[in-house]
Amino acid sequence: MTRPIVLALVGLFAPAAAALLLAVAPALRRRGAPAAALTLLGSVTSFGAALLLLADRLHGGPAALATVPWLRSGDTVIAEIGVCADGVSASMLAVVTLVALCVQVFSLGYMHDEQPPSFGRYFTYHALFLFSMNVLVLAPNLLQLFGGWELVGVTSYLLIGFYFRKPSAARAAVKAFWVTKFADMGLLFGLFVLFAATGSFRWDAHLAPAAATAVTLLFFLAVVGKSAQFPLHVWLPDAMEGPTPVSALLHAATMVAAGVFLIVRANPLFEQSETTRNVMLIVGAGTALFAACLALVQSDIKKVLAYSTCSQLGYMVAALGAGSMMGGFFHLTTHAFFKALLFLAAGSAIHAVHSNEIDDMGGLAKRMPWTGAAFVIGALALAGIPGFSGFFSKDLVLEAVEHRLGHVPWIALLGTAFLTAFYMGRVVVVAFFGAPSGEKAAHAHEAGWSMRGPLVVLAALSLLGGAFTAPFTRLHGEPYALHLGVGPVLAAALALGGFALAYRVYGADRRASPALLEGLSKAARSRAVNRLYEFGFHRVALVVSSGLAWTDRYLVDGLINMIGYETLEGGRRARPLQTGLAPDYVLAVVLGVVGLAAWAVAQ
Amino acid sequence: MSATLGFGVVAACALLSAVFVVRAVDLIRAVLWLGITLVATAALYAMLGASFLAGVQLLLYVGGVMTLMVFGVMITRRHEGIAPTATDTVRPVRGAVVAASLFGLVAAAIVNTDGLDEAPARALRPLTLADLGRSILVEHVLAFEALSLLLLAAIIGAVVIARRRDPGPLDEPTEASR
Amino acid sequence: MTLSHCLLLATALFSIGVYGLLTRRHAIAVLLSVELMANAANICFVAFSRFRGGSGQLFALFALALTVAEVAVGLALVILLYRSHRDTRIDLASEMKL
Repeated sequence: MTRPIVLALVGLFAPAAAALLLAVAPALRRRGAPAAALTLLGSVTSFGAALLLLADRLHGGPAALATVPWLRSGDTVIAEIGVCADGVSASMLAVVTLVALCVQVFSLGYMHDEQPPSFGRYFTYHALFLFSMNVLVLAPNLLQLFGGWELVGVTSYLLIGFYFRKPSAARAAVKAFWVTKFADMGLLFGLFVLFAATGSFRWDAHLAPAAATAVTLLFFLAVVGKSAQFPLHVWLPDAMEGPTPVSALLHAATMVAAGVFLIVRANPLFEQSETTRNVMLIVGAGTALFAACLALVQSDIKKVLAYSTCSQLGYMVAALGAGSMMGGFFHLTTHAFFKALLFLAAGSAIHAVHSNEIDDMGGLAKRMPWTGAAFVIGALALAGIPGFSGFFSKDLVLEAVEHRLGHVPWIALLGTAFLTAFYMGRVVVVAFFGAPSGEKAAHAHEAGWSMRGPLVVLAALSLLGGAFTAPFTRLHGEPYALHLGVGPVLAAALALGGFALAYRVYGADRRASPALLEGLSKAARSRAVNRLYEFGFHRVALVVSSGLAWTDRYLVDGLINMIGYETLEGGRRARPLQTGLAPDYVLAVVLGVVGLAAWAVAQ
Repeated sequence: MSATLGFGVVAACALLSAVFVVRAVDLIRAVLWLGITLVATAALYAMLGASFLAGVQLLLYVGGVMTLMVFGVMITRRHEGIAPTATDTVRPVRGAVVAASLFGLVAAAIVNTDGLDEAPARALRPLTLADLGRSILVEHVLAFEALSLLLLAAIIGAVVIARRRDPGPLDEPTEASR
Repeated sequence: MTLSHCLLLATALFSIGVYGLLTRRHAIAVLLSVELMANAANICFVAFSRFRGGSGQLFALFALALTVAEVAVGLALVILLYRSHRDTRIDLASEMKL
């Protein structure tokens, strides 16, 4: 085993060992603190291995692959299981483990008030999640990736429903599970088609054009579900019912990015279908703009960030649709840092004022300078202000998208950049500046270092992430040059304009509600997409199924019941024949014998 | 000629006593009539050259089964005697018709079968006791062993079925099981 | 004495047994009728063995043993019947009716 393989295996199994130990040792888990220590140990080990692996990859060298046969059919091995340590998995592993570590450290403070058993349960889920995510990231083929994909779905369900005594959290968990599970069918059927066409689960297979389009479109369905793209984005805002650090890790930085990661991983397949890439471009750009509009009118700070996540994932999908794997993947990386930062800062604020509503906050920057600074850095990075990490990744994305499909997606993404700056400006102005809006906000205070430390690390990465652009592209074998074309400059200008406008509107009146947004707010409250699903469910699915139920109940069951009834009736009529008296039975037997003898004689 | 006469006597004895077996009201008498039928059959066996079988018939049937039957009758007979059977006119007639038609059919088949009484193509060597023993213990030893197993099963089965069960400890829930 | 004589005798004995089986109501009497029928079958075996050769005697021997087993189990059932009904008339036992 070579060094990269050992590192990858350590990265994979350190959290798995923690999760397994906590799963089989309830005493350890129920005491809380040991569970947190074990999970953190697993994450630190995993992160260390990931860093060493990344350094190894940066020095070059061939991709390392270690597999053992998994599914056999006769003498042929259908699928293998193992680890693949190449540039893509190494950088993703580093991002995932780093963010996971930050979030787990943050959780030490954030979840401190939980009872020890649920504290331990929380960290057990975290260890399980990190293992699942690493299975996905290090997968050497698409089948193992699918396994990891489903595992993160399960941990997402568990963590959204962490406060399972709260009905809305339980409902949100089920909704997230169902919606993503529906989409996962796409990945499963895509794998079937891929296997039927090539006999393997490799992502670098060559396919016929029709098969390539079928496979990638099916895969893209799964991406739409997992990465919360329109129209399957409905689960992500509801998923904010989970604890805020969970939202930061799963529903902003890593798990939802798994969809984008799938496209990056299976890029050789996606490159074979122009159709799918155009669909991705349209869906991505559309989602980016649509979700940004919805983010404008949310009053729950986590909902704003959730819609923002949808929107930024739309950026990534659009970039990949435009054929820029680098743009999509790098935006995934920087987004992981600054969105995790934003969520953790929001979590810190929520922890202080015990409310998700931005209207309940206000003036927090003064009371909580660390949190305020972190949130502002995250917002600037998200908006793509030059110098921050988001600027460099958006630069790559906009550059790639510019000339595609008659500039329409490009314009949509530029509009999104403006809206992003506007809604982030709104949150910053309303929640962190101005006067405190209540008793709680006025007496908010900074939490301990376990919560501040991760903010500092992530803020530094959000601030300086742009410096990684060149090494990042080199890792994937592409040259890098800062383009500074029309798009990025325009986007930066629009972002600054968005902030300025937000300051003008909300700086004067924190509860301002511009007429333009009034209609949007009404539309958002109407929950049109959710209503559409409900309509589809009630009017279409329920009607069809009640029709089927009627057929089943009265025609199918009726026929069966009739047969049963007639049998009973016939039995009732034949019943006198059965006297229960042995002589009568003997008579029947003898008559049978006589009949047989008569037949034999007649022959 | 004397053989035919002997056969006629034996057959008449067997048939007559068989009729008494099925007609006798008193069960003990029926059992005794059955004994006579069995003895007549044993005589027939002897006439047919199966003297060993005749001996077995006497020992096993007349000696064993008959005794068993008498025991059975005596154990199950109530002290006040058998309740007089309700006069049933349909049943004897129905039984007679069925039995007669069965006899008619089979007898017709026997009579109508050609060449039943012709002598076999090659002369038969009379079956000796030694032949029988070799046949049982060499050729058909598996069937023999299976039969002994069956007898064992019948013995155990009979004991289990007829055993008087003590209902006490089985049916009453004990203190410990509560 | 020919084969057909023996077969006719056996048939007659068998039919008498059938008559008894159909008319008698006491369990032991039924058992006796069954014995008659088994006996008739044995006569056929021996007769065929005598006039046609083959291992008919062997079959008769086995059939005898089987009959003994049957009588043992049959009598056990009669005793059981008597114990539960205080009677041995089989047309009173209608437990086979559901």
